[in-house]
Amino acid sequence: MNGIRAVYYREIVNFKNRWIKVWSASIIYPALFLLAFGYGIGKNAHINGTSYVKFLIPGLITMSSMNQAYGISLEVHISRYYYRLFDEYLVAPIKRWEIVVGEVLYGITKGVIPAVVLLAYAIFAHLGYRLGLDFVVYFLLHLCCFSLLGFIVAMVVRSHADQAAFSTFVMTPMIFLSDTFYPIEKMPPFVRPLGYVFPLTYSTKLIRGSLLGLEVNPLYKFLLLGLALVLFGIALFVARRAEG
Amino acid sequence: MSEVEVRDLRKRYGRIEALKGVSFSVEEGETLALLGPNGAGKTTTIKIMTGLINQYEGEVYYRGKLFDAYDVAMKKLIGVVPQHNNLDKDLTVYQNLKIHGLLFGLSGRRLDRKIDEVLEFTGLLEHKNRKADELSGGMKRRAVIARALLHDPEILYLDEPTVGLDPAVRRSMWDFIVRLRREGKTVILTTHYIEEADALAQRVLIMDRGRIVAEGEPEELKMKLGRFVLEVETENGIEEEFFKSREEAMERARAINAPVRIREVNLEDVFLRLTGRRIEV
Repeated sequence: MNGIRAVYYREIVNFKNRWIKVWSASIIYPALFLLAFGYGIGKNAHINGTSYVKFLIPGLITMSSMNQAYGISLEVHISRYYYRLFDEYLVAPIKRWEIVVGEVLYGITKGVIPAVVLLAYAIFAHLGYRLGLDFVVYFLLHLCCFSLLGFIVAMVVRSHADQAAFSTFVMTPMIFLSDTFYPIEKMPPFVRPLGYVFPLTYSTKLIRGSLLGLEVNPLYKFLLLGLALVLFGIALFVARRAEG
Repeated sequence: MSEVEVRDLRKRYGRIEALKGVSFSVEEGETLALLGPNGAGKTTTIKIMTGLINQYEGEVYYRGKLFDAYDVAMKKLIGVVPQHNNLDKDLTVYQNLKIHGLLFGLSGRRLDRKIDEVLEFTGLLEHKNRKADELSGGMKRRAVIARALLHDPEILYLDEPTVGLDPAVRRSMWDFIVRLRREGKTVILTTHYIEEADALAQRVLIMDRGRIVAEGEPEELKMKLGRFVLEVETENGIEEEFFKSREEAMERARAINAPVRIREVNLEDVFLRLTGRRIEV
């Protein structure tokens, strides 16, 4: 467990040095979407009997927390390629899975911030969400998946350009096509299959369902859990191959 | 039993054969230098020996036990100072060292005490709370060495310890490495500086293109050529002749009608004689 502690300590100390940037980015991005979509275009809209703002906020939680958790990708990439800090982990008497877990814990920590901000707003605005254990479990699984994805991308890509390409072609479409801003069922039929490929669709449906107290296809839980396990396996594989 | 033993190490990077069968051993308390130009295979050898490369052929033994990159006890035995000063530049010296301590299972007061101890030894105690990025090149190098010493390793790897440092700082770094030897550490260093290997190592392995081309004590290697070298300026460039004494070299110089220079034989002459090339960096 020494490795988890050391990796997490390093990330948190760095995080403390720039906490204002992380917090403000966590707030501004979803706040703008809330303003534009929730109180702009969708002010008087309803989706399946729920006000659009109440529908939108769970989507904003998953989207912005995904961005933060996946965002470890850039940090891990920089520390590995430019500062060569990864070598320090590799010569230490720790297992590679400890590095993965340490980084995922950091991703989770970052991902919690926008959720806290948005939920605080929801409480303040009396939106009436149901905050249960199911929400906590789905949310943590969601953060695990995207932290692991961020870690894998950081270990696989060779340059910032590759990383930017992954963001453009995978992460950005995922943000807009995964049930976040509008239900996937309302999307044009030719785009819908793409939405069902993205894991964000399932975590958004589960998290929204738990907050609104709606029934969600139970298969989605297992899909998300299965995805987290597969991604952990891949993360371990790429970490073991690192610098080898 | 040797402290470290390397048997027939081979490593390929695609079509390039970086190591072509490297074997050697290091005794307890010895300072060994791997000397050679860039691309000779020095860093690859060290990376294999420290677990940074795990796909290779051959074997590495520590105190008779086959090296396993996941063996906690074996990893604690070694300390590594990489070629690149891989400090976290936004963190303080203390925070950088703390991460290393945590990685090696140290914590609490024991860790803080050890940090003070190695910073005292490396002369960085007063810079403990400065950001790594604010340190000079020499101080950064010492901070990396302090970090490597934190878990009290018995075998220390120094990969190009003085590269990029100015001559004065390089000298003080040499004194420092001599102190490490006096502390009883087994030191394995790589360098492409002739004078560094000469000044620090008790034994030198001269490497070229993935092979060890010569091995021995610096004096012993040089004596194989002679003690003095006569450099003669000819139309084809400088030609060298070796002599056992200065008198013999001077006698020969008098018989030549061309500009000459007499100097002591160095390890570069050994490299040149063995490979036909100079150590180019």
